[in-house]
Amino acid sequence: MTDNNLHKEQQIVDHLIGTFQNLSGKVKREKRVEVSIEKKQISSVLNYVKDHLGFVHFSHMSCVDWIEDGYFELVYILWSPKQKVQLLVKALVDRENPSVENVDMIWRQVNTYQREIREMYGIDFSGMKGAQDFILEDWDEIPPMRRDFITDEYVKEVYFERPGREDAKDVRETLVKRSGEEIPDFAKKYSRD
Amino acid sequence: MMREKATTLYLGPQHPGITGNMMIKLKVEGDTVVKAETHVGYLHRGFEKLMERRNWLQSFTIVCRICVPEPDPNELNYSRAVEEIEGREVPERAQWIRTLMMELSRLASYLLWFGGQNGSAGLYTMPQWTVGDRDYILDLFEELTGGRVYHMYIWPGGVRRDLPEGFASRVLQTMDYLEKRLLQYDQLMFDNTVFQKRAQGIGWIDPAKAIEWGVVGPPLRGAGIKSDVRIDDPYLVYDKLDFEVPTQSGSDVWSRSLVRRAEFQQSINMVRQIIDKMPEGPVYNKIPNPMKWNIPAGDAYVKSESARGEFGYYVVSDGGNKPRRVHVKGPAYVHGVTLLENILQGANISDVSFIMNSLGTCPPEIER
Repeated sequence: MTDNNLHKEQQIVDHLIGTFQNLSGKVKREKRVEVSIEKKQISSVLNYVKDHLGFVHFSHMSCVDWIEDGYFELVYILWSPKQKVQLLVKALVDRENPSVENVDMIWRQVNTYQREIREMYGIDFSGMKGAQDFILEDWDEIPPMRRDFITDEYVKEVYFERPGREDAKDVRETLVKRSGEEIPDFAKKYSRD
Repeated sequence: MMREKATTLYLGPQHPGITGNMMIKLKVEGDTVVKAETHVGYLHRGFEKLMERRNWLQSFTIVCRICVPEPDPNELNYSRAVEEIEGREVPERAQWIRTLMMELSRLASYLLWFGGQNGSAGLYTMPQWTVGDRDYILDLFEELTGGRVYHMYIWPGGVRRDLPEGFASRVLQTMDYLEKRLLQYDQLMFDNTVFQKRAQGIGWIDPAKAIEWGVVGPPLRGAGIKSDVRIDDPYLVYDKLDFEVPTQSGSDVWSRSLVRRAEFQQSINMVRQIIDKMPEGPVYNKIPNPMKWNIPAGDAYVKSESARGEFGYYVVSDGGNKPRRVHVKGPAYVHGVTLLENILQGANISDVSFIMNSLGTCPPEIER
């Protein structure tokens, strides 16, 4: 793929870099463009690309928990039907006090995505009105999609084994106990090391 | 003048008119819906959290279960995202087989939709016919992959095995049968005055606002907008196939039904072209030891056109042997929540389920 074929993608990136301060961006491949912004620019960048660059279709919104680095990464994914380019707008949100502005007045369906991210990650979308919860009901643990929510530990704490099943968790151990036979260590037996 | 008092009705989560398990809280005055609220959460299985603890190959076995009527786009999108991040090439024959799977899956999903749409209108003969005919496609899937509904066939690197002996001729026979049946569906459903009267003018979406509201797939094409991921952002071998993208301008349930019927015919033609043009070659670019298979750090957003609309996968890798984040976005995420809540206002109670089916609402993929 020669660089000439990525002309319109490069134009979009260059235009955004020239329009907003502290914005970096790159062309990922054909039809995929990515920019990284500060969280306070979210609403101005989204409004701009919708009104002036034709990114009218809101495709997706996601959140990634980079717990080691101490932030959440919010990703807004937009599509321009005219130019046929997908734009990913990424913003970092501090993990200690995660709060960003609400943007569901730009596209109404963003409300659903925000509700889910608020519930699953605990990010506060200030100013968001209406129902807050989406999927979970009566949930009072930490937001479950965070990396520090360990499902195994939660299950051990909250649920108990059915009576008579306490010793049946490990299949090999259970079979050995019940039959009295030794099961060979297949990994060792068939390994080629 | 006395104002009628609004009653609250709970449609679901157990209701024959609901496609799956979700609850719509309706506020009705008499027969007319004044407000609708979608409540999901009955089918949340936590796939995305599960995938963070499974390695890249183990995760592919569970993605198909995210969407019940049409599992294959999940497998395809997951594999394509992983291949894009890693830069893995997929053999040519595997691309053609994947396209064949997609189109067969589209046909099976449309047959199920025919059933659901008519079942919610009371024309119960259609579901009996189409669910039975869908079984012929599921037989083909069983022969190829071992599973009728959940296939776990398309994996990163290609597909699991090549087409068996005689499979191509069985596919063509099934296509001939379905094409004949389509004429009978026309007689029963599309030429049926009762269905026409029920469907025309119902569930109208404003075409000027459709894209902004996030409408995708047949509802968008039923509003007169020619938009299809297979031509806007081509993937697999769709650029080598000859097909049309039908549109209708009515933007109501009737238009969406006509769009789906036209696409059904297009899919049959595409399957025939695929069988005709498929090249020989390997079907799998073998991955290394799955226990030690690390994907370089990066992310990818891939999308495909499922029977219900644009299906997107956002996959993030941190360089390890497990996904950092897999985020699935199905068409029903928008259609089943904000769009449904909006267009149900002013609708008659008996049309609620009818409209919901026409949008292709699938609760399992809203909440994964």
